[in-house]
Amino acid sequence: MRIPVQINENSAEPLYRQVENQLRALIISGQLEEGTLLPSIREFASDLKCSVITVRRVYQDMENEGLLRTRQGTGTFVTRVEQETRTRMGEENIRQLMSETINRSYSLGWNRQQLEQLFQEILDTRE
Amino acid sequence: MNRTTTYDMKDIGAADMESVIVLKDVCKGRRQHMVGPLNWSLPQGCITALVGENGTGKSTLLHMLLRTLYPDRGEISWFGQTVEGEMPLELRQQIAYVSEKPSREEDRMTARKAAQFRSQWYPGWDQQQFEQMLQAFDVPADALLSKISKGQRQKFELAAAIAAQPRLLLLDEPSSGLDPFAWKDMIVMLNQAMEQGDLTILITTHRMEEVQRLADYVVLMHEGQICGMQEKDELYQQWKEVWINPGQDVQALQWLRECPGIIEWDGKPDGSVRIITSDAQTLQQTAEESGIITQVHGLEWEELLSCWVKDHHLKTGKGAHS
Repeated sequence: MRIPVQINENSAEPLYRQVENQLRALIISGQLEEGTLLPSIREFASDLKCSVITVRRVYQDMENEGLLRTRQGTGTFVTRVEQETRTRMGEENIRQLMSETINRSYSLGWNRQQLEQLFQEILDTRE
Repeated sequence: MNRTTTYDMKDIGAADMESVIVLKDVCKGRRQHMVGPLNWSLPQGCITALVGENGTGKSTLLHMLLRTLYPDRGEISWFGQTVEGEMPLELRQQIAYVSEKPSREEDRMTARKAAQFRSQWYPGWDQQQFEQMLQAFDVPADALLSKISKGQRQKFELAAAIAAQPRLLLLDEPSSGLDPFAWKDMIVMLNQAMEQGDLTILITTHRMEEVQRLADYVVLMHEGQICGMQEKDELYQQWKEVWINPGQDVQALQWLRECPGIIEWDGKPDGSVRIITSDAQTLQQTAEESGIITQVHGLEWEELLSCWVKDHHLKTGKGAHS
């Protein structure tokens, strides 16, 4: 199965963190369901054009977070995510995305007021 | 994290991994130049790509690892074992080799016959796996090897090397001249072989797509020297291209120039500057503090390798080539 994770080479964020963030988002949003078998480390690395060292690190980190489990001989699976965890991680995810947007905006010379206005504007057009 | 320390460790070899091959001060004089002294170890269970210009000593290194060339000085160990004179059979049986050009000796044999011949040398030979590979990758078993296509021939060579169940597979530009279909099969074959067990691959290549698809570590050779070994993904993010437009701010320009990690500073006629740096973050912060906008881009593999050579020259005090 192909996991929709994409690497952004213009980002200063380390590759393993990029992959982790996207994989985490796929799991907590439920796009990757409980019990889904992930590709082997070598296979995933080849898909992403990154090294097995990175994928191994991603799988290990996410096992420690309780999102993945590896069964010897069978592979790495998505575990059951409790609703509470889902909510908390979802918030963390959005918080991070927003921080990145804010940083980027500041570096382009935007100020707080302009940002708040734009945010409001985008929200309004959605309704 | 202290970046310098990590880099130094990577230079010697992966610190926390077992090594299949260790080179200590290995030197070999060639007709035109000297290869070495080489100090390096090959990490176990990984694919390491050996890259560098032609004539820089990659094949010399590979032949020393096969013991078809002996070093003039220094020491090589295979699986923790050093060798005097010829390589003992039980060690040689753990190593398989595929080169760009297959040997002519087997031209008058079929794939099946050649495999039978080779299997006598390798006690771990897996005939079932060999046949499965021929079938999966469309290699005729009963045609003469001289009569099949270059792609089929190279796939036979790879299948035979993998079926020998080596612990170390040495590949010298195996994809040179392969069509894209055979090339893709080769990538699949090698990835599948890595899934099975305790295999280590060292591959020389000029195809960056191959480094991307296969490698875990990258070793760069330049003018007979090993510039270092890096985890592929760290290398990929090691240097960034940063564009700034400092305008007339002389003070800010001075601060930016003093930022660490800069290996290239290229001022354009329109006042913008293109900078190559290993520390884009510090540069970006410094620029932002002065209200200067930055744009950061990743580099192509070819450019990254040039940066690596340049960085190596700066560190070893040879001065930068352009």
